[in-house]
Amino acid sequence: MIVAARLLRDRRRSTLWWTGGLLGLVAFTVAFYPSIRGQASFDQLVADLPEGFRAMIGYQGGVPLTSPPGYLHARLFATLAPVVVLVFGIGAGAQAIGGGEDAGTLEPLLANPVTRTRVATERYLAVVGLLLLLVAALAVALVVLGPPFGVLDGVALNGLLGACAGVFGIALLHTSLAFAVGAATGRRGPAVAVATTVAVAGYLVQSLLTLTDAMAPLRAVTPWHWYLDHNMLAEGPSAAAIILPVLVSLPLFLAGVAVFRRRDLH
Amino acid sequence: MPSESVIRTWGLTKHFGSVRALEDLDLAVERGEVFGYLGPNGAGKTTTIRLLLDFIRPTSGRAELLGGSGADPRVRARVGYLPADLHVDRRYTTTDLLDFYGRLRGGHDPRWVATLLERFDLDPTRPVGELSTGNRRKVGIVQAVAHRPELLLLDEPSSGLDPLLQHQFQLLIRELVGEGATVFLSSHVLPEVEVLAQRVAILRAGRLVTVAGVQELRRQARQRIDLHLAGPADPAAFLGVPGVVEVHAGDGTLQLVVEGSADQVIKAAARLEVVRVVTHEADLEDVFLRYYQGEPA
Repeated sequence: MIVAARLLRDRRRSTLWWTGGLLGLVAFTVAFYPSIRGQASFDQLVADLPEGFRAMIGYQGGVPLTSPPGYLHARLFATLAPVVVLVFGIGAGAQAIGGGEDAGTLEPLLANPVTRTRVATERYLAVVGLLLLLVAALAVALVVLGPPFGVLDGVALNGLLGACAGVFGIALLHTSLAFAVGAATGRRGPAVAVATTVAVAGYLVQSLLTLTDAMAPLRAVTPWHWYLDHNMLAEGPSAAAIILPVLVSLPLFLAGVAVFRRRDLH
Repeated sequence: MPSESVIRTWGLTKHFGSVRALEDLDLAVERGEVFGYLGPNGAGKTTTIRLLLDFIRPTSGRAELLGGSGADPRVRARVGYLPADLHVDRRYTTTDLLDFYGRLRGGHDPRWVATLLERFDLDPTRPVGELSTGNRRKVGIVQAVAHRPELLLLDEPSSGLDPLLQHQFQLLIRELVGEGATVFLSSHVLPEVEVLAQRVAILRAGRLVTVAGVQELRRQARQRIDLHLAGPADPAAFLGVPGVVEVHAGDGTLQLVVEGSADQVIKAAARLEVVRVVTHEADLEDVFLRYYQGEPA
């Protein structure tokens, strides 16, 4: 795992910054909770909003926004946390092969006694490792910073871990897509563009199409739907949010490597 | 001992869309030789090396390195590659790079690496991105030979090196060849290749024009001979002498341009009272240029 270890080392500084940013986001979010808690009028206000709008701010029927699971879901898990991890993952996934090839660093590396399959696999695994690290930092930050502000009251540990696993899942899927496009094209730009477009489109489909819409069945195929369909903090882990992204990521990874093995380097 | 090809290609061809980068290349480089690979920019030299290392795949034909495929890690372990322009992460220091590649190759000999750094006067602690072109070139050379490869593929090795370092580089290549290494030396300038190579291939527009020994090319080369005469300089004495392509007369001197053997010229000169003979180094560059331009030599 020499290639993977080198990538982890290369990205240690940027990973540190991203982790720091995520910790700041968690700290800011949990510290704000006491000012919302118990404001019943706030829940009333949200209940009056149109359904699409409620979905966009991460409101889940039956879980009051002022309760810890409702608050954390709306403020963190349905919005900023997955977005931060996903942006990090797409960048790292696109960089793994596409970015390296753009910069011309892949050829000298491949002049060493390593196969393309090994380089691609190790780099992919390293990026997945970085994602895990970032999500673990999110979980640890919540467990450590949450209790003083009462933001974990009534949130079971398996619910919290499930939600974090869901963040990892949705980020993994888009990271794998960015990796695959980068490996297939040897370019970073298309990799970022495709993965970002899929992420944004999926999010819009999930949040804007309401249950009554004729296109509503489309929601079922978006990763955001798998992830956001349940408030895992309140209802416990959801299998779809955790298993489906892995099932999609694996073929994406394999397809990316298969094309990378066959094509000319730039 | 039967000769053993270290590089073999059979009808190796590469097209990029409509661009015919390399056309039907048959090449055999023998163990222990320094093989010059000459051609103008865009002739297909880098394409050939990238095909050999399996960075790109042939449109048709095939290539063998050290009896195997350039895609095989066991083959790559025995090959050193100096790209025309070494791209590594700008933040890496030379130490980072050598350490990384060294691990992939199962460890470099630290004393050899230290010697190389010293010989090329490289500060291994500076990030590669901060280095000058010449210094980056040195990093490329050091990483290419750090594992004492059996076969070196060098793409324009001494461009960007000052004369002192070019000399240092030549010493290094001779040393490695002395230990049994084979060197494939691609270049667009002749002098770089001439001092090291025994044989050269000349490539033009993706096609192999000729493979010849440097000595043989030298024999083909035109030479300039100046004859300082005691009597009047009469060009007519050399008109029609085999090999003479140009005669200039002036101030008791005849300036001759001779192609091929100078034998007949010397015999013709024997009839005159020659005070002094000045010969100029065979102009290999001239032969080379004629190949470049496609004029049959």
